[in-house]
Amino acid sequence: MVEVRSPLRERITPGQFGAPGDAGVVLGNRTLAGLWQIAGWSDFDEAADPVLQALGLTALGSYRQAQQAAGVRAWRTAPDRMLFETPQDLTPFNSAALAVLDLGHARTCITLSGPIARDVLAQVIAVDTAPDVLKPGMFLQTGLHSVAVLVHCTGPDAFEILVPVTWAESVWDILFENALPYGIAVREAA
Amino acid sequence: MIRINCPICGLRSETEFTYGEDASVTRPAMDESAAQPWLDYVFNRDNPRGWHREYWHHAQGCRQWLVLERNTLTHEIGTCRLAREDAA
Ligand SMILES: [Zn+2]
Repeated sequence: MVEVRSPLRERITPGQFGAPGDAGVVLGNRTLAGLWQIAGWSDFDEAADPVLQALGLTALGSYRQAQQAAGVRAWRTAPDRMLFETPQDLTPFNSAALAVLDLGHARTCITLSGPIARDVLAQVIAVDTAPDVLKPGMFLQTGLHSVAVLVHCTGPDAFEILVPVTWAESVWDILFENALPYGIAVREAA
Repeated sequence: MIRINCPICGLRSETEFTYGEDASVTRPAMDESAAQPWLDYVFNRDNPRGWHREYWHHAQGCRQWLVLERNTLTHEIGTCRLAREDAA
């Protein structure tokens, strides 16, 4: 198994940046447990079922609400496409009816939290991030700095952003620049 | 600024989408042997003033192809459906 290295490993310097005092924003980079996409065709419901069962999920889910099971996160990203964070190898489920793709090396996870996190997010995506609209457990796919990302609200003031590794530095920089006026605590990569 | 109501993602800014092409064009029958219908299908487009049906791609969202009604005069947006449903 090839070790997955963060595309941000040389960009991230842990410490305190920007405005002095309590940091309004905490930025970090989380290693994914493994990221898999499954995609199918008109019989996707049927084709996806064995994967859902293996992961302890019961339904494809909605386009807004992320799903959780033991050690698994799932996002319904399109009518016939899903994304899973799981350490399980889903390769055996690959078939003529289901295209299984390992995205573990293709995405990285930027974590954004803190009392001002929502406001910083609102500055960089053209989607409503108000607490009563983007609630914990919900997710959305959008453009951030013209990069297609998936934003998952993981807590009242916490977000995880799945970013293509080739654009991770750009996205990191734009978040960092926008958060500087509020003070940033950059965490050691987890 | 146009806002498009993606059936999967909800109301989103135009910046997340890319324009595809005229959705009102239909391909001639495969056994069509005259040149003109194929010429029209491949190259010739109307430039309507008013409502128009267009393919748009939600490139930075769900990556689905959509059929969107757009008023070329007022930029008003009408219905937006998944292209697969529109074709069905
Ligand atoms: Zn969409």
